[in-house]
Amino acid sequence: MLETHLPQALIERLAPSQLAEHLATLTTGYTPNSEQEASEPTYYDLPVLKAPVWRWEIIWYFFFGGLAAGCYIIASIAALFGSHEDRIVARTGYYLSLLALLPCPPLLIKDLGRPERFLHMLRIFKVRSPMSVGMWAVISLSFFSGLTTLIQVARDGLLGHAWGARWLASLPQRLLALPGSAVALLLGSYTGVLLTATSIPLWSRSKLLGGIFLISAVSTSTALISFVLRLVRTPLRTLHKLERLEWSVLLLEMLGLLAFLRASGRAARPLVGTAPTEHGMSFWRFAFGTGLALPWLLQTLSLLAKRSRQSPFPGLLISLLVLLGGYVLRRTIVEAGHTSSQDARTTLWNARS
Amino acid sequence: MVAETSQRTTPLELVQDIVSPLLKQPAPATQPAMGFFTDTSICIGCKACEVACKQWNELPAENAQWSGTSYDNTRQLSATTWRHVQFIEQIGREPPQVSTLPFLNNDRWLMHSDVCKHCANAPCQEACPTGAIIHTEFDTVYVQQDICNGCGYCVVACPFGVIARDEQGSHTARKCTLCYDRMKDGLEPACAKACPTDSIQYGEVEQLKAQARERLGLLHERGVSEARLYGVDDNILDGDLNSFFLLLDEPAVYNLPHNPSRPSNNVIPASWWSIATALVLSLLGIFFFSNNK
Repeated sequence: MLETHLPQALIERLAPSQLAEHLATLTTGYTPNSEQEASEPTYYDLPVLKAPVWRWEIIWYFFFGGLAAGCYIIASIAALFGSHEDRIVARTGYYLSLLALLPCPPLLIKDLGRPERFLHMLRIFKVRSPMSVGMWAVISLSFFSGLTTLIQVARDGLLGHAWGARWLASLPQRLLALPGSAVALLLGSYTGVLLTATSIPLWSRSKLLGGIFLISAVSTSTALISFVLRLVRTPLRTLHKLERLEWSVLLLEMLGLLAFLRASGRAARPLVGTAPTEHGMSFWRFAFGTGLALPWLLQTLSLLAKRSRQSPFPGLLISLLVLLGGYVLRRTIVEAGHTSSQDARTTLWNARS
Repeated sequence: MVAETSQRTTPLELVQDIVSPLLKQPAPATQPAMGFFTDTSICIGCKACEVACKQWNELPAENAQWSGTSYDNTRQLSATTWRHVQFIEQIGREPPQVSTLPFLNNDRWLMHSDVCKHCANAPCQEACPTGAIIHTEFDTVYVQQDICNGCGYCVVACPFGVIARDEQGSHTARKCTLCYDRMKDGLEPACAKACPTDSIQYGEVEQLKAQARERLGLLHERGVSEARLYGVDDNILDGDLNSFFLLLDEPAVYNLPHNPSRPSNNVIPASWWSIATALVLSLLGIFFFSNNK
């Protein structure tokens, strides 16, 4: 038995759950101490908070909303600051933005307890409530995105050449992009701010979630636009710009997440830990691992390679990995919030410090 | 809602019928702030408050589940439980914390009737995007059931885990109304009326606070040093609670957060970080797209 113990111990040390646990301790700066935690008083370990009522509808809304916002921003930047050949990024971005926006209202409405009363959100505008601000942002971006895309459609000749289409095509799309981008930036970040303005320890202890959601919106949108552009004829220089942007934003996203974990400390355990109700395995493998670190490494290699003619496959793979990672990130954050709400000890610890 | 009439109405009357609900109605006259003082030192754990609340508000019973923890099988406040009596058995406490009662052991059985705190700066009201949650003329926190669309944002905003969405019934957020309907008719809330020991006192908040401070002083005088007020003079959520408590141990023992942060205070710092991120991302984008090498 002794002979098998040594390799067994080594295998255990390298086991994914052990690695994840090490990462969790390293990034949060908190080592779980079950004895010390058990000595903290609670009311029979019953939860202090109520669990969030949001499920898959909101997770997908976060994903599509981020894509809608990010695509609009990238499209606008390409339209305002890019070269003439970058026009394809603007066109694709604007179309994708509207497409990504389409499922958002049905998802939000379906998530409500009383969906038929969805218009009640429009009764007020409460600056203190991110949900109120966000609803208006969704409506505003629908307006900007819709109008911008309509102008694009007219310019692409899809509405024929009647006087109405020509008038639409002549509207100042780039001028519209300025307020539209501001609203898009709001839409991409407000969902994170919404989660921060709650009592759930995982979401509210660090104030970085708004920034992280925005970075993730831009990284997933860059991935989506790159994916689509690689399937059609696109100048290599344009693709290179997107690749460099993707590389920087992925790096920023990883750094942002690490900062978020460090600031959250013990409150981040449900997201990165490996206990039965914690989501560390999904987070480290599919959100941080194959969703950020792996595509970033692949992108680094791809940028360093000096080949002028590249196969589209690495780029397509990177885009898919980033998109999947963005979805898993949102899913684990929401589901871990559920876990965080049910942990009385961490809730009471969070309220003390 | 459009009023239905059997007779033919003039077009002007029809327009008035549609427009009048949208016009701002005169607000009810402001009343002194009313609230609860729940004194756990005289609670006997009879649960009359839970029953009275259920009966008056026609709330359904919860599914019976054996909790195994003392006499509490309700376990938490919910969308259909607005008063919840907690039982805390403290067996074998450390000697120095001696209660003045001249018993030979320090074992205690704490009882606490938990309820919505009706915070002066209620996070649920601040979070509500439809304006369903309001402060009434009595400064209590009330959910207007015809407006709430069940978005669930108040549920995650509440640091005490009070408000919840009624998944079995109305699918809206529900919580203690402080018997708003009874208050409007000058009656005290059902739980306060039913409480046989007057552990639950109802009245003007300032008056109740004075009573609470006096009661605390009395207990301290008699050596019950662990007695403390929760929601009075401790600036919880930047403003105190209109429904406050006298506790006989630290708040965590009752699953009450010691000094919860006010969720709406996070909006500004989180927004600054978002703005900073937006600037960095925009600059990155502009840099890469302007560079034509």
